[in-house]
Amino acid sequence: MDRQIRPIYEALDTNSNKSAILACNKVLKKQPNNLLVKALKALALVRSQKVEEALVLCDEVLAAKPADEATLAAMMHVLRGLGRHMDMVTMYDDAYKQQPANEELGTQTFFANVRIGNWKAAQQIATKMHKQFQDEHYLYWNVMSALLQAKDPNTPETLRPVLLKLAQRLVSQSPTPSYYNADRFHLHVTVLKELGLYDEAYELIESEAGKIICSQFLMCEELRREIWKLKGLTKEAGERAEQQILEVKDRNWLEFLAVLDATFADLTVEGADVESAKGSSSERITQTRELFGKVVEQDGVKDRSGHLALLELEKRCRHHGLATDSTTLTSLLESYFQHFGGKACCFEDLKPYIELEGEDLATWTSVLEKQTAQATSVPDLWRFINAQKLLRYNLTEAQLTPEAETQRAVQCLNAYLEGLHLGKDLPSYELQPADDLAVLAAQIFVNIWKRTGDQTPLYNAAALLEYATTKSKMSYQIRLHLIRIYRLLGLPSLALEHYRGINVKQVQNDTLSHFLLSRASTFSLAATGDITYTNECMETSRIYVSNSEETSEFIVRAFGGEKYSQIPDFILFEECLDNSLQRDLIKMEHVRMRIAHEAINSELVDMELIELKFIFDRLHHDNRDFSILANYQPRCGASFIDQTESLEKTPGFGWLWVFLKIYIKAFQLASDLDDTVEDKLLIGDRPKPSNDPETKLPLKERLTKRKQEEINELSSDEAAFYDYASALSEWLTPYHDYARPPPSVVLAEAAKLTEQKTGHTLKGLELPPDAATNGNGKKDEEPPAVVEPPASISKHFDDVLQRFKEVLDGKAVPFELLHVVTLAQEAYLLFAIETTRFKTASVIKQNKFGGLSQHIKDIRNKSTAVINEMSGALLNRAESEATQESRKAVIEACKPIIHESGLDHDFVLNVAKKITDARKQIYDGIGKGMAKLAKTYA
Amino acid sequence: MSVTRSFKATDLFKFNHINLDLWTETYAISFYLSYLSRWPDMCAVQETPQGRMMGYVIGKAEGTGTERHGHVTALSVAPEYRRLGVSRRFMAWLEKVSDENYRGLFVDLYVRCVNFAAIKMYEGMGYSVYRRVREYYSNLGLGHSVRDEEDGFDMRKPLPRDPMRRSVRSNGRDIVVSANEVP
Ligand SMILES: CC(C)(COP(=O)(O)OP(=O)(O)OC[C@H]1O[C@@H](n2cnc3c(N)ncnc32)[C@H](O)[C@@H]1OP(=O)(O)O)[C@@H](O)C(=O)NCCC(=O)NCCS
Repeated sequence: MDRQIRPIYEALDTNSNKSAILACNKVLKKQPNNLLVKALKALALVRSQKVEEALVLCDEVLAAKPADEATLAAMMHVLRGLGRHMDMVTMYDDAYKQQPANEELGTQTFFANVRIGNWKAAQQIATKMHKQFQDEHYLYWNVMSALLQAKDPNTPETLRPVLLKLAQRLVSQSPTPSYYNADRFHLHVTVLKELGLYDEAYELIESEAGKIICSQFLMCEELRREIWKLKGLTKEAGERAEQQILEVKDRNWLEFLAVLDATFADLTVEGADVESAKGSSSERITQTRELFGKVVEQDGVKDRSGHLALLELEKRCRHHGLATDSTTLTSLLESYFQHFGGKACCFEDLKPYIELEGEDLATWTSVLEKQTAQATSVPDLWRFINAQKLLRYNLTEAQLTPEAETQRAVQCLNAYLEGLHLGKDLPSYELQPADDLAVLAAQIFVNIWKRTGDQTPLYNAAALLEYATTKSKMSYQIRLHLIRIYRLLGLPSLALEHYRGINVKQVQNDTLSHFLLSRASTFSLAATGDITYTNECMETSRIYVSNSEETSEFIVRAFGGEKYSQIPDFILFEECLDNSLQRDLIKMEHVRMRIAHEAINSELVDMELIELKFIFDRLHHDNRDFSILANYQPRCGASFIDQTESLEKTPGFGWLWVFLKIYIKAFQLASDLDDTVEDKLLIGDRPKPSNDPETKLPLKERLTKRKQEEINELSSDEAAFYDYASALSEWLTPYHDYARPPPSVVLAEAAKLTEQKTGHTLKGLELPPDAATNGNGKKDEEPPAVVEPPASISKHFDDVLQRFKEVLDGKAVPFELLHVVTLAQEAYLLFAIETTRFKTASVIKQNKFGGLSQHIKDIRNKSTAVINEMSGALLNRAESEATQESRKAVIEACKPIIHESGLDHDFVLNVAKKITDARKQIYDGIGKGMAKLAKTYA
Repeated sequence: MSVTRSFKATDLFKFNHINLDLWTETYAISFYLSYLSRWPDMCAVQETPQGRMMGYVIGKAEGTGTERHGHVTALSVAPEYRRLGVSRRFMAWLEKVSDENYRGLFVDLYVRCVNFAAIKMYEGMGYSVYRRVREYYSNLGLGHSVRDEEDGFDMRKPLPRDPMRRSVRSNGRDIVVSANEVP
């Protein structure tokens, strides 16, 4: 036997799935009922993407209820590959029932439940295992499962305390005290905390053993702080912190905060007598000031805690009306600046303390203005950079005239070029200390554009950043700025080039890809066959597959290794990534690109329909990293990221919801699938819908709901597109519903296809005997009368053409032009999706839809003409782009920044070339793509 | 000055400004989770008062007998928070954990031979080169000699449990081993 099986494993180990299948077939010929070999063959099939065939084998094996470890292990991989975690639970459950004395099977059954977050079952298994095998760690598995079940949103409110009490009772039964293991201890305290038993928790933590654990394990120390807070030990925490600061020289900011909280404790208790509290606090303030003063003295420039703590103290004094000297704040700021103005963190450190006005602001400004650009050392340079950032933060509306801003930008740029000398010996892979001056200059230019609408400052910003990136190749900050600006300027190829330069990897695909892929269909040339951006969506999305394949294994491992403290966070991490907003924003963009690239047939429509409906049941998490982009704009106006957001609207939850509704509706109309059919054709588990009460409503109702807060996230063009899409689908729904073949026919068709492909029938499918012949047969009801389409559908294309002409000649940034154009194309494609069914002559004839056909034709002709007109105009515009004049215009625009050497005329000329070539490419590509689509769907 | 706290899985959403750095690798999710699921007490973050991550350290404990030690797998601080003593605090903390929680005799780490800033820093903290490991890293194409770019130093610092400093040696830079000879 072994002799026959070994080659199969060897083939699987080396990923030679083909030879594994052959080897399996050889054995199966002689032993057609060998479960293990069937399971191994199913695995090889799954890995070769032959899902239908794998399913057949998989079901056969499951039906036989395997109980030997080898078969179970093979099936575990098969089921995981198919996304059938529920079946995995059943399989192990059955096996464990057959061999209740098998500890390994018990463990695997427990893990199978852990993988799908089935805490109730996990808890029951752990109970059983603890009884039977007596090992203490099963007791803690039990406790952890009970805690997780108590925290699960699906658990009824009333059951939660019951579960927590159960957990508490279980821990107290543990023969060895929890403090023998930090993670058990952590779990124990957490259970007490959740039950609100702070005194018991405190006792545990402050015990001899507890204190040691807290000093050795950060996660326990964090829990200690929490318990102290919950117990209201503000003053005691302050005293303890004071000791830490003085005796151990602890510079953990939390200690300083504890002292500060204690200082104002009397004032923050509810219902306190304010006057007497002020008295006692004043005294404490003096003591605290002394303490922090001592720290300042001791630390010098080594550590900035003392300085920041004094600033925080003064801020809180002012807040409570206890400040005695109006000059304290500014002199503290000045002192900080003198000591740490040479560090990069200075601006961020001081930001919370400099929202000043009047006299204060004047004093502070004069301190900063003393800082000159002549830098002879890196700290000198940083002092200048920090001064510029700090000054800029407080600029008022009146100080932001284009002239003043241009002057500031040029000043920063000059200081930047000067500052490069300080880093001239650094290798090019090091960051230049002057980088932030280039970034500042660029942000100032962007601010001018935003305030005047004149695009020339954007070219200045782009050119100087291009220069800066040659000096500081590894600066992601400079590249992110370029990406933001190039997107506005309608230059996707250049944005992509810099995005690749950042080298985004792994989980960063989730947090950073929004920089490139937000509204990416605006930039897609998929219609011409160029799928660069489409591929980018695919590549980026791979991280989500890794997450669903791998993360749950670590939750299992954390149970195995008893690292309970990590489990809630692993679960949260998995969920945030699985239900990532960015994941589905990318998915949406991908769909929008795909329909321009591929033939719109039932394969595309059905698959996307199913996937989008799953997404529609999710509760999303927004993991996108926006804070990575620096902001040096004055606090009186918008931040840099908001200023450079395409159309000032960031796609978020509402945006996604609108587009999901549009496309689910459209694909529903086009598809022959209804829910019963879909269930039969589904392979993996159906994802659990989120707990949002909305998901409980009927889909039909959800799809037609219009919410203002969602519409608020759309650009005006997107909002118009939404209106159009709603009108279109509403008009066509009755005709689709009538003409759609009945489920039995659709299933019969699917069964036929499966049989052709695999030689097996579709699982669990019982067709009524007459299904195959039923055809589009007679219907009981009369066909719906054909009515005129609402005028808004056809008018949408008039409006779009009007908008197009406006943006083509106006001051709008190129992004807006592309936005208008690609949305027009999308409206055109949506029309194609929703009318394909009625292109078939027999459908029209059988359902007496002759009138409908004419209406459709009218709109199609009209919209095709509009698309062709826009395409022609765009192609014309493309011609005028990469010319000498257009390059000259860019160079002319960049006059304020052109220098004699380095950032000189030739450098800018090169940038101008790049920009104009890229512009030509996108206009040309989009224009040609539209013409092509107009031909296909005319 | 910073807030020191334990590293959490969800910190992977927030470490971009630290990781977009030449010397810092962004690994697969499984890398971070496997550390957290085994040595959660050796992974820490420091953040600003506003809650922004400044840097992190990821370590592990390995070896038995006289080889029992702590290992720094990754240490990185975002450029804007460098030269504030963040790494100094991480290293002191990791040494304490290696000693107290794992009874380690020393702490060791690998560093690229061309990462001069880091080497200088470790030396300042009492670490010394124990051996040079051939082709431990991939080439970054920085223009140094291929050897220097791909080789790494294994650096060590003895802990109180090794008062005789048996875990280090003075001629470590001359001792060259190949990558498959080290764990
Ligand atoms: C190397 C690195 C970790 C230093 O972090 P850091 O928090 O800035 O270091 P610290 O402020 O704690 O510095 C401690 C001491 O190390 C030395 N040091 C640190 N960086 C130095 C540098 N660039 N050049 C010279 N000495 C340096 C100094 O003596 C410093 O003390 P001082 O500032 O009082 O003079 C940081 O630059 C970094 O993240 N680099 C990229 C990632 C990396 O290389 N990691 C190490 C891989 S093994």
